[in-house]
Amino acid sequence: MIRLESVSKVFKGDVTALRDASVEIQRGEFVFLVGPSGSGKSTFVRLLNREEVADSGRIMVAGKDLGSLSSWRVPYLRRNIGCIFQDFKLLSKKTVYENVAFGLEVIGRPRPVIRKQVPAILELVGLSRKADRTPDELSGGEQQRVSIARAFVNRPLILLADEPTGNLDPATSVGIMRLLDRINRSGTTVVMATHDRGVVDTMRRRVIELDRGVVVRDESRGVYD
Amino acid sequence: MIYRLWYFIRETVVSLWRNLSLTLAAILTVGISLSLVGTSVLVREGADRATAQFQEGVEFIVFMNADHTPDQDAAIRQVLDTSPAISEYAYIDKLAAYEEFQVLFADKPELIESVTPDVMPPSYRIVPSDPDAANVAELARQFSTQPGVREVATATDAIRQIEDFSTRVSQVLLVAAVVLVVVSAMLILNTVFTAIGARREEIEVMKLVGATNWFVRIPFMLEGMIHGLIGAALAIPSLFIVENQVLSFFQESDVVPLFRGFAVPDGFVWDTSLWLLLLGGTVGMVGSAVAVTRYLDV
Repeated sequence: MIRLESVSKVFKGDVTALRDASVEIQRGEFVFLVGPSGSGKSTFVRLLNREEVADSGRIMVAGKDLGSLSSWRVPYLRRNIGCIFQDFKLLSKKTVYENVAFGLEVIGRPRPVIRKQVPAILELVGLSRKADRTPDELSGGEQQRVSIARAFVNRPLILLADEPTGNLDPATSVGIMRLLDRINRSGTTVVMATHDRGVVDTMRRRVIELDRGVVVRDESRGVYD
Repeated sequence: MIYRLWYFIRETVVSLWRNLSLTLAAILTVGISLSLVGTSVLVREGADRATAQFQEGVEFIVFMNADHTPDQDAAIRQVLDTSPAISEYAYIDKLAAYEEFQVLFADKPELIESVTPDVMPPSYRIVPSDPDAANVAELARQFSTQPGVREVATATDAIRQIEDFSTRVSQVLLVAAVVLVVVSAMLILNTVFTAIGARREEIEVMKLVGATNWFVRIPFMLEGMIHGLIGAALAIPSLFIVENQVLSFFQESDVVPLFRGFAVPDGFVWDTSLWLLLLGGTVGMVGSAVAVTRYLDV
């Protein structure tokens, strides 16, 4: 599903974000990316949905070579990749329902499809009763559920999560991880960059550790360190 | 498709409304600049029509009677061909005169129907060797006494004034208009930039979930286009005001004896209006396309 071959990425000012990284992730896997701040976790994630372009090496995602993917095809790649973030990236003027519907609307899905899929996904994340609230009326955990609903409503092959529990307390994080686990069990490949030792140690899934842009550890059923 | 159309319309309207004061500023600037462009075109056209017969150095015109004899005609030609005071001349026969009449009175079909090529006076348009006014007046006097000559019209000071005046006015207007068109493009660009800023988060999410660049772009381009189109629509009434008020000056001027009473026809004003709409819409769309592309390529 995802393959990196000797991928390097250097930012301006000689900041090496990723150095000669080679990783292969199978369909349906759940992978934690761990490492200190600045170790290249976020860059790893951003390379996968082509927010960044690698300087060298080859990246294959969902059968596409991202290096040779023309820019007008990038949106179609992203329709196969859901993304969630530490800061949720919800639209504060829209309701929960509208936030999720927006994700379908802007890729041109017809309204009858939206009317069917949005309530279903809100049911899945447990927010059916709060569909008409705006994000600032929700708790952090609920907001992250909305953002997961938006990322998953299109049934993507891959879910990328960049510190999704970074702003949440441990109890709330457990709920979010249960949800991501459930999504993973439905066949979606999940790649999650995280600092959250508790989450990684509880889940016991594959762990890839980065240090200054280098892959220093890759073990299945790993722990944080 | 229909859902996308609805989406584009909704987003465009919301954005126009949210940005109301800048939107109005952009629209008004477009309106003012395009009315100057249009006025310049109309003044130019009006002057060209008013002085159509006196261009390229023609200083006076000898109109023959419609029923003049070949001998009378030959006598005139004899003078024209041999006189050192005449530099060159052109003969406008009945048919050519009729065709010109049709062009000048295009918006007065009843007038065109009332004449036939047969009743049109043929004429000689004459470029004298010496365009000095006194000399022209003397030549005109000589020709007017020839048999078969109906009337001699000279390029009076009035005509030269119209030409000078209209050239200057239309040039000044055109320069001002070009500057203002650039200003309005920049203002539209800015308005759209503000609109984009107000929706930065939305655009980020759109790109994240895989909206195409065109999908992101189109509402903004529509917004710019609407600025341009409404501005142009505001400019159109001003064209008709110019037609009625300013151009009546040419209409009333008593300088072209046989072809007096014409103006810029309504059809030409409508054509100009269409061009203004096209120009306004294009300027608006290009301005916003530039703004969006700059933003999207970050």
